Amino acid sequence: MLLFRDEEHVDRWCAARDLARGATITPEQTWRLADAWYRNKAKPDWRRHTLEETEALLSSIGLTSAFWNLRG
Amino acid sequence: MTERAHDLDTLARDVRVHVFREAAATGHVPQAPAISHALGRSETDVRAALHELAAAKVLILAPNDGNIWAANPFCAVPSGFRVAAAGKRYWGICIWDALGIAAAVGSDAIITAPCGDCGVGMTLEVRDGQLVRTEGVVHFAVRAHAWWDNIGFT
Repeated sequence: MLLFRDEEHVDRWCAARDLARGATITPEQTWRLADAWYRNKAKPDWRRHTLEETEALLSSIGLTSAFWNLRG
Repeated sequence: MTERAHDLDTLARDVRVHVFREAAATGHVPQAPAISHALGRSETDVRAALHELAAAKVLILAPNDGNIWAANPFCAVPSGFRVAAAGKRYWGICIWDALGIAAAVGSDAIITAPCGDCGVGMTLEVRDGQLVRTEGVVHFAVRAHAWWDNIGFT
């Protein structure tokens, strides 16, 4: 996941690599993902999020389109 | 579960906790010899535990030498995603992980990263658990269900 100055820079980066455009989100949404994902990883009782928990996390920050579907 | 498998699971947990605490405390991701020394276990056992953790997608091993490439969010080698927090310097393998370092360290943090297109540097800041300075947009090139198909590219 890369940071870009704006959507135009994303388009240029994708075009230069002949890649289909993915999805863009705000740094604020990314922070909320990162915080939930990593805050407790050093604790002994940490475990990976389940599929359902990850779906709920994505949904909670508005990532509900097909791009964010975890089930393929 | 056999006694050997149970021991490996316990060791994998101990290795995970040690690696992530050490990375957060120092900014350096420890490798197998140092983990072996710290936990008083053989390097062979530690490497087996690291492979178990990698298989479980808890961390990423470098394909060439089996060393830890990233104990996500902490990258073991310098990258363009730089984090300054708690008086230390860290690297992430992507912007998600760079922000994750602020969460894992539990500290205020300044994150700097280049624009993926033009390379111009941008700065984000986390303070008191909030993202208080922000610029740019974050692009996910890979659909969510395929993130781990090629995590280096993702």
